[in-house]
Amino acid sequence: MLRMHNLSKVYRTQMIETHALRGFDIDVREGEFVTVTGPSGSGKTTFLNIAGLLETFDGGEFTLDGVDVRGMRDAARSRLRNEKLGFIFQGFNLIPDLDLFDNVDVPLRYRGFGAAERRERIEAALADVGLASRKRHYPAELSGGQQQRVAIARALAGSPRLLLADEPTGNLDSQMARSVMELLEDINARGTTILMVTHDPELAIRAQRNVHIVDGQVSDVLRHPASLVEGGGRTATSLQ
Amino acid sequence: MLRYYLLLGVRNLVRSPLLTGLMVLTLAVGVAASISTLTILHVMSGDPIPHKSDRLLVPLVDNGPVRNYVPGTQPDDRQLSYRDAANLRRSGQGMRRTAIYDVAGAIEPERPDLPVDQAAGLAVDADFFAMFEVPFLRGAPWTAAEDASRARVVVLGKSRAEKTFGAQDALGKTLRMFGQDFRVVGVLDTWRPVPRYPRLQNGSGGALAGEDGIYIPFATATDLEIPNTASTSCDQDAAPKAGYAGFLDSECTWIQFWFEIASSSDRAALHQHLTRYAAEQRRLGRLPRDAPVQLFDVMEWLRYMNVVSNDARLATWLAFGFLVLCLVNTTGLLLAKFSSRAPEVGVRRALGATRGAIIRQFLAEAAVVGLAGGLVGLLLSLGALALIAQQARQLSMVARMDWVMLGTTFLIALATSLLAGLLPTWRAAQVTPALQLKSQ
Repeated sequence: MLRMHNLSKVYRTQMIETHALRGFDIDVREGEFVTVTGPSGSGKTTFLNIAGLLETFDGGEFTLDGVDVRGMRDAARSRLRNEKLGFIFQGFNLIPDLDLFDNVDVPLRYRGFGAAERRERIEAALADVGLASRKRHYPAELSGGQQQRVAIARALAGSPRLLLADEPTGNLDSQMARSVMELLEDINARGTTILMVTHDPELAIRAQRNVHIVDGQVSDVLRHPASLVEGGGRTATSLQ
Repeated sequence: MLRYYLLLGVRNLVRSPLLTGLMVLTLAVGVAASISTLTILHVMSGDPIPHKSDRLLVPLVDNGPVRNYVPGTQPDDRQLSYRDAANLRRSGQGMRRTAIYDVAGAIEPERPDLPVDQAAGLAVDADFFAMFEVPFLRGAPWTAAEDASRARVVVLGKSRAEKTFGAQDALGKTLRMFGQDFRVVGVLDTWRPVPRYPRLQNGSGGALAGEDGIYIPFATATDLEIPNTASTSCDQDAAPKAGYAGFLDSECTWIQFWFEIASSSDRAALHQHLTRYAAEQRRLGRLPRDAPVQLFDVMEWLRYMNVVSNDARLATWLAFGFLVLCLVNTTGLLLAKFSSRAPEVGVRRALGATRGAIIRQFLAEAAVVGLAGGLVGLLLSLGALALIAQQARQLSMVARMDWVMLGTTFLIALATSLLAGLLPTWRAAQVTPALQLKSQ
């Protein structure tokens, strides 16, 4: 689904160069739920931005669902992003001036779906996250957890191949965080690949695989068979 | 998608009414200032008879003295002498032709106890009415035969007929003027070409407003020795001989002249004829200046007569300068508005919007501001034109909006708002989505 090999990203100013990613390798297979952890400044967000085609990279290889994204122009990247990816952010990033229906409608508009199909998809997505009855409410009228559910509905409405989540529970209390996490697990169980950046070790070990990044490189990969996780242990079963 | 963008534009404008109101008002004031001045310029410089303006021609034969004449300069005299007018009337050139001069006199009442009324108008040839497509309410122009026989006939302007005869039908009635009984053969409908192109010289009421009350045959007027009541120009060293006959025989200029040709391609032939005529007159000892004969069609005549003053042009330029100022202000307001929407741009980009889509969305929003500004600007323009019209009768004829100017109002408002939106939109499209998404 997503493959990066020897990827590098350097931020340059007049005075200094910062290597955000170097020799970065990762292979996320279809249907996987992968969490990404690492200390602040390790390159997690840079990795997620590049994975989400929001940033370019300087070297290496990156294929997304079999498409080589090197040298792609803005319009092609935008189209690929729209068709293959869904985003969930820590700050929800709903458009405050649009109601829930219209927020979920945004990616579908850029996809070029007709009115009937858009309506069907929006209502199904909102129903999936339990907010169908509030489609004409505005984001400010919802709790944080509900807003994040709307963001998930927006990400899912276009049936993406890969869901990218950047600390989706970072702004939520533990109960809401758990509820959102359960929703993501449910989505993954239905076949959507998920790549989630998190600081929360408890959430990290709930995924099938946890990739730890340090200084712009993958430092280790932990596999968590469900049985072991449920038993409360965190066990490294393989190092990729 | 355009509908979606326009809908978003309307919603976003409604959400911030204060900023929107400011932008719309700024734009509207600029549009109103430029449109109201442009409307006046447009009407003043418009073609009053577009389907034949290239076939109606004014000849100028320069019969001034050699003294102080600089070859190549335009003559300052825009009328003809009686000699030239009479020769051109007889020339048979063009399909129609008319001489024109201003007449005025008292209309004597039928009963001596009633007050005398003053009437002003024109002495013209019968062709005048067909040449300038003057509309008749009743009756018709006099005939060429009546021209030749110097008949005592008159055509009345609509207002004159109403004033003299009230609700009665004026046709066939008699009017006593210039010591003669004139039979009314026609009553005109309202005829107000703007500008009054046949009457730019001496037209009572000026180039834009005014209406002539009576029209009598040119030959009748000269036969009755009715004097010209408008400008007459005589050389100080060549004063006319005594009497009306002496005046007609002089080189004084006081008659306007128009030809109508069948096709614009006949203009060269007419010009050639006039040149030959001038040469012949020189051989006879007239026209000492050796200046070329000039011919003007309607639009050339309007320019030559400086109908659109430099003041009117300057006012329009100044108004457009003001519009540019409003454009800069609107740009600033749009910059503030669009900058605050950087997070939204980040989200939309992440969800699949291309830079082009962002540009289209924000330009559509600017266009909505433009259309609202155009609408308010139109109302302000109509108000401004109404105020201008109240200043003078002349201005009331030109301070009126037509469909062209209505469309122009919205085009200018739209173009201004799109121009104002270019920089803010470009900056919005440059937003780095990754940066915005993380910072929210």
